[in-house]
Amino acid sequence: MSELDLGFMSEVAGTPRGSGILLCIQCGRCSSGCPVARLTNDHNPRRLMEMIILGLKKEVLPTQLPWYCLSCFTCLDRCPQGGDVGDVMFAIRNLAVKHGNMPAGVAAQAKALYETTRVINPVRSALDKRESMGLGKLDTEGLEEVKKILKKTEMDKVISST
Amino acid sequence: MKYAFFLGCLIPARELSYEVSVRKVLPELGVELIDMKGANCCAPFSIQSVNYDSWLALAARDLCIAEEMGLDIMTLCNDCYESLLMVNSLLKKNPELRDKTNQILSEVGKEYKGKVNVKNLVDVLYGDVGVAKVKNAIKEPISGLKVGAQPGCHLTKPKRIHFELLRGFNELDALVEATGAESIPYERKEMCCGGPLRDIDDDLARKVSREKLKALKDAEVQAVVTVCPFCFLQLDLGQLELKRHFNEEYNLPVIHFIELLRMGMGMKLEEWEVKAHRIPITDLFKGRL
Repeated sequence: MSELDLGFMSEVAGTPRGSGILLCIQCGRCSSGCPVARLTNDHNPRRLMEMIILGLKKEVLPTQLPWYCLSCFTCLDRCPQGGDVGDVMFAIRNLAVKHGNMPAGVAAQAKALYETTRVINPVRSALDKRESMGLGKLDTEGLEEVKKILKKTEMDKVISST
Repeated sequence: MKYAFFLGCLIPARELSYEVSVRKVLPELGVELIDMKGANCCAPFSIQSVNYDSWLALAARDLCIAEEMGLDIMTLCNDCYESLLMVNSLLKKNPELRDKTNQILSEVGKEYKGKVNVKNLVDVLYGDVGVAKVKNAIKEPISGLKVGAQPGCHLTKPKRIHFELLRGFNELDALVEATGAESIPYERKEMCCGGPLRDIDDDLARKVSREKLKALKDAEVQAVVTVCPFCFLQLDLGQLELKRHFNEEYNLPVIHFIELLRMGMGMKLEEWEVKAHRIPITDLFKGRL
């Protein structure tokens, strides 16, 4: 028997992109249009909404479940309730990260952003090509400001913990 | 027509040929691009997944730079477009959120005022340059070529933001047809390329792109035309991965829309640009390379 956290739905609803969970009527239109749900039973947006409503926090936040979504926003457009399912997905990913659940690929991008202002950086040969083509230099003039923003919003802590 | 040019991260890192074609073609159509000095990453899917406040402040910082330039932004990447467009919309409509974000920005001496718009390459070509002018610039029409256009998710979704700005997928189709090529309808046109799951669940990412490529193959197109650099990577490089993992060959050349336009305008692609395509385009565009 799972341990229920009856405050989980309120917790999700209280995050900036999570309020759509309160509108969910479990119709399943999100799942029927989801390109990932077509391909794997592991991902099912309707079921994920249900798990949040029921309070299955431990079965959601520390698991892979928040990370199957492509954020293509098909579900968000299809929700008859205007429940913004795709936004709720961001809300539970934000909570998952707070619980230390972040894929390595995401962590690497966050780290690169903090160190270079970009999430992906050119290899040497691409920079050389850039110079030989006479294209403008890629600048990092914003680096100190980006670091300040990430410190102020406490994303630096997430980055240093990975 | 003058824009603050938001280059993003992926294009200078992996798709220099995309940037080069944009810089060659747009001035010919009367569009001036001014680079955004000191811009940071737009804060795409990955960063938004980590922290909401960071997302707003990072995207708003880029919007502030455009405001200081006094210019609307033009992006190439759909992810950059989505992030900047959404934050611009959120902050314009919600004074409380704007104040909160400006409080963070005050640490770096910036203030978001809500004075600029965010546009994508397709918006600029379709809405500002206009299809008639694009058509007029075509000197060597891409006649007889059947292509499948891939607008990508965030060019048109979420619709609650786009319905005032765009009228669906028709813009890219209209632009493709202006070059003389034929835009063929296919199933799963609105479906994602799978790109965002790269580095999170590679197997699933491949399976999503596989669905898309199968549908394109079924529609018997000769090439795929993309706008977003992630779609390009996922559908072009993705075909090599599908060969390795599923032993399936699609042999479907993928081309940036701007390259199609450039060839239609009579400007040849250089050898290194041709080689930037992992699925060869040489047979299809003989005489234009």
